[in-house]
Order: sequence, then C-alpha cells, then structure tokens
Amino acid sequence: MDQQDRIMDGDLQTLGLQSILKMLALSGKTGTLLVHSGPETLSISLRKGQVVALREEGVPQPDLLSMLCLINRLDPPRAQALREMSHGNTQVALALMVERNWMSAAEMQQRLEFAVTQSIGHALRWVDGRFAFHRQLVTMESKMQPLDVDSVLLEALRQADEWEEMAGEMGTQLTRTTVARWLPEVNKDVRTLGLSQEYIEVLCLSNGELPLQAMALVLMSPESRIVRIMTRLLEFRLIEVVDPILERELQQDLSNIIIKCQHILAQRQQSSNAEQHLLGLISTLAECINGLLIHHGRYAKSLRGRGQVPTSEIIHYLERRFAQPLQLMARNQYPILETTNFVNGQLDCTDILTLNKLVKGEKLAEFYWEAVQGLTVFLREIFSTLLRDEVGNSHTGRQLDLVWRAFLTEIEQEIQKYQIERAYQHTRLARSRDRTQPQQALRVGIVQNWK
Amino acid sequence: MDIPTVLVVDDSPTVRKIVQMTLQREYIRVITVSDGLSALSAVADEIPALILLDIQLPRMDGYYICHIIRKNLQFRQIPIIMLSGKDGLFDKMRGRLAGSTEYLTKPFDSEELIQTVKKYLVDWQERMPPQYEAMRPRLRRRG
Repeated sequence: MDQQDRIMDGDLQTLGLQSILKMLALSGKTGTLLVHSGPETLSISLRKGQVVALREEGVPQPDLLSMLCLINRLDPPRAQALREMSHGNTQVALALMVERNWMSAAEMQQRLEFAVTQSIGHALRWVDGRFAFHRQLVTMESKMQPLDVDSVLLEALRQADEWEEMAGEMGTQLTRTTVARWLPEVNKDVRTLGLSQEYIEVLCLSNGELPLQAMALVLMSPESRIVRIMTRLLEFRLIEVVDPILERELQQDLSNIIIKCQHILAQRQQSSNAEQHLLGLISTLAECINGLLIHHGRYAKSLRGRGQVPTSEIIHYLERRFAQPLQLMARNQYPILETTNFVNGQLDCTDILTLNKLVKGEKLAEFYWEAVQGLTVFLREIFSTLLRDEVGNSHTGRQLDLVWRAFLTEIEQEIQKYQIERAYQHTRLARSRDRTQPQQALRVGIVQNWK
Repeated sequence: MDIPTVLVVDDSPTVRKIVQMTLQREYIRVITVSDGLSALSAVADEIPALILLDIQLPRMDGYYICHIIRKNLQFRQIPIIMLSGKDGLFDKMRGRLAGSTEYLTKPFDSEELIQTVKKYLVDWQERMPPQYEAMRPRLRRRG
C-alpha cells in the first residue's frame, strides 16, 4: 500500500483500536485500517464508516467447509464440490451454499459478521502494536452486508471482556491457537456422559488440526466459551492439548527412521540368493524395530516433557511395554522369536542372524522365513502401539500411518519376491524329481518283467 | 497467494509419502510420480517449481530425465534436486553433468530436505515460464 495514501498512523498504546474505529466511523471514512501486533495483522476495509470486509493475517486460515463437515452440517462430497467451485474462497463457498439452499442467507450474514466480530474482539486485546489508515480501499471480495461499527464494537468488546474474565477466573493455559485432539484411550460412548450438543461439537472439532479460534468461528460461539468447554473436556479426559513443536519433532524423527529403514531395505534388495535375501530382511526388520524403540524411549507419553529421564527408566518402560507381546508371539505363533531378547531396551536378534553356524540348507531357510514373518508382525505391533500412545487419533497420526503403510507395502513386496522365488525352486525341484521317478518306475517294471 | 508445487519422482512409495508429508507441512503442494515417463508428463502438465528426482527409476533413469528437462527451453530453469542412495563423487559428478542443481543423499534427514527445498523456492514465481500464468487457474483448481 502506498505511503502517500496513509492519512493516519500511530501506536496502539497511544490510541486504542476502539477509539480509532469509532473515529473513522463517525467521520464516515472510506479506506483500509491496518493494525499490526507481533506477527499478526488485521486489515479492516471501511466504506463510508461501515465495515465492508476484514482479513486476518499471521494466523492460519481454517477451512470452514471441513469444519462444517465435522459437525455434520455439510456432506464431504458437497464440501469438495464447493471447494473446487470457490477456489478455496470461504465467502464464495458460503454464497454458493446459499444459492443451493444448503444454508440460509441470514446464516451466511451471521457467520460473516461473527468472523468480523471475533477478529476485532481479539485485536481489542492487543496492547502493543501499530495502526495505519490508508485512503485506498483494498478490494476484498465480500459477500457481507456492510456492518455498523458501533454494533460490531459492542459485540467485540463483550467477547474481549468475557475472555479477560475467563482468563482471570480460570488462569488457563489455553490460547486461541491451542489445538486439541481426542484421547486415544476413549472408546466409550460419549453420549453416556450427558454432554450437551455444544460440548459434543467441540469434541468433534478436536481432531488435532483445528485451533480454538477456528472452533469458535464455526460454532459462532465466543472464544472464551470454547475455552470453558475445552477445559471441561480436558477434565473428563476426553481430549488432550497438542504441542505443535513436539509433534513436528516427533514426526520428523519417525520419518527419518522410516527413510533410513527403506534405504537399508532398498540396498539389500540386490542379494545374490534367497537365503541372503531373507537375512537382509531380518536385519532390516530388526533395525527398524530398534529404531522405533529408541524413538519411543524419547517420545512416549509417560516419558516426554520430564527433562532428562534416567536411561534405566526408559529401558524398564520399553521392556515392560514390548517384551510381553513378543513372548506371547513366540509362544503362540513364531517359536523362533524365543531366541531373541531385550538388551538395554533393544531387540537382540544375534541368535537368528548367526543361525547359519548351527543349521544349514532348507531348515535354515525355514527358520529365517519364520523369523521374517514373526518380526514383521512384531514391527506392526510396535508401530501401532507407538502411534496410539504418542499422537493418537490425530492429523499427524493419520499422516504417519499412511507413510507406515507405504513402507509395509515395500516389505510385503520383498516377502512376496521371496515367496515366488521359493515356489519356483520347489517347482524346479519337484520337476527334477518327476523326471527321475518315471525312470525308476521303468527300472522297477523291467525288474518285474525279469522276474 | 499461490503455493509452489514440488514434483517428487521416486519409485519407492515410502519415500514419496514421506516427502509429501514433510513438505505439505511446510505449505508446499506436492505431486508424486513413480517413474521417468510419468515424471516428464507431470513436468509438462504441472510446471513444478522444483523437482526432487531419484536416480534409480524404472524405464528411464534420473540422469536421463534430468538431461531431457535441461534440454527443454521451457523447463530448463526448474531446479532439480537429485535423490540418491549413492554417495560417491562419481555419482555426484554425473548428476551435475546431467544438469542437477543439488544432490541429496539417501537416507536424508527431514530437516535437511526442508532446508534444501526452501532454498530453491525463494524466488520460484520469478523463475516460472510465461505459460505458467495462463495455467494458473487450472493448477489452482487441481490443488
């Protein structure tokens, strides 16, 4: 925006947002008011002293259509169609909904008004920051009826006051950017808890992706109200707060492990014979299991956020969590796994890897094959336990699950390759036996004739 | 504002998914293909801002794909980051000779991948060929 268009600017400490807006409304100004505080920027478009559009920058813009789907107000296929037609523009999407009678025009206006009020209500709480009013009106596509500044301010001030009141009363750590997700342990029917519709809707929106501010927007409920509901849901242990920094770190760590294992798998694909192929698979699976165990020792819910946890405690935790499933698998399905054990929180497969010193030929291949199957099942078990514990049913969890499935497909392909090779060898062996057997029969026949 | 598109060419579904997940988190649009021919068709169809290209690919190897892209006047400015399991000097030199911009050795670190990709996406809009402007509405619809 041009500097020469700027007709007023200053510090929010000198002149608050409320006073600036009132002043611009009274004088019937047309232009754009830009308010900055930290990384956030609010751009309010005014025409003849009325609010015609508003844009918030510096905070992720939520996808209203997805949120409407989550609270059962819109079908996902319809949402997808709207998204494509509106090119991601929320206001256009809302207008299309009205056009198709999926939403009333009054509701659309109410939603757009709420978005303006919510953003101004938040900006009214800014203490530090700067503002500038430009004569130039930024053309923002708006389907909203112009809003009277006084009524917007009244509602926004009410919301800001409620927030302050709630913060003073509850001393909560929750902010408008807090993201929550359902706790994976919850598998009971939430209806039995006697939660109201509002609580259930917040619960539905707690998918590990949406910030509190977005929930307030879709439910058209003040942010302070959402904080109260979230606090209650946290007390019920139905949701937990997501730490985005930790989640990012965790996702990167797991990605690195999977990428490393995929690389090892790819390198061992060029094994010369079936035995080497199986051996390569066993060591890849073992390395993957141990990589995941190291990761879980760092990010397990009961271990993280406690600073430096003693190594002995981590080892004890990992063994307590995974030794029993391994023993069960060894006892019930894959006896070869009895030769493995946990050493310092890591799975030791040395006995399997050095089995060629004790066994040879087909028996060795059978043992290896059993080990591959057992370790694959154990690997799946570890990963699902780890994912459930660390990220639960969240966006990150779902993303990692997709990656994991892709990796398992590659392992499966390797296993299938071996199976085909094995089947081919069996057929070849059987054929060569068949070729020798008729000759034997003939010989016997001749002998019989001789008799 | 438009978001940059990165084309990932790798025959491993794991690598494709991981790169997609990692870059999407950074607000980068990612399209993936698993072989050389599909890669060339995706380049022409999507005009990516950057290509992450594996060397060992079915049907047509990464060096050859890189060579073809560099020979094309419309797409030669697209940065190409080679992804390879081989860390040898010879492989890196071969990649450079084929026209790659950078070389990432597998197994790569997620953070390293993000930093490298971001380095080449700073001025991506300026590097786009003229026909990209005409394609924008279509690309946005797909995104």
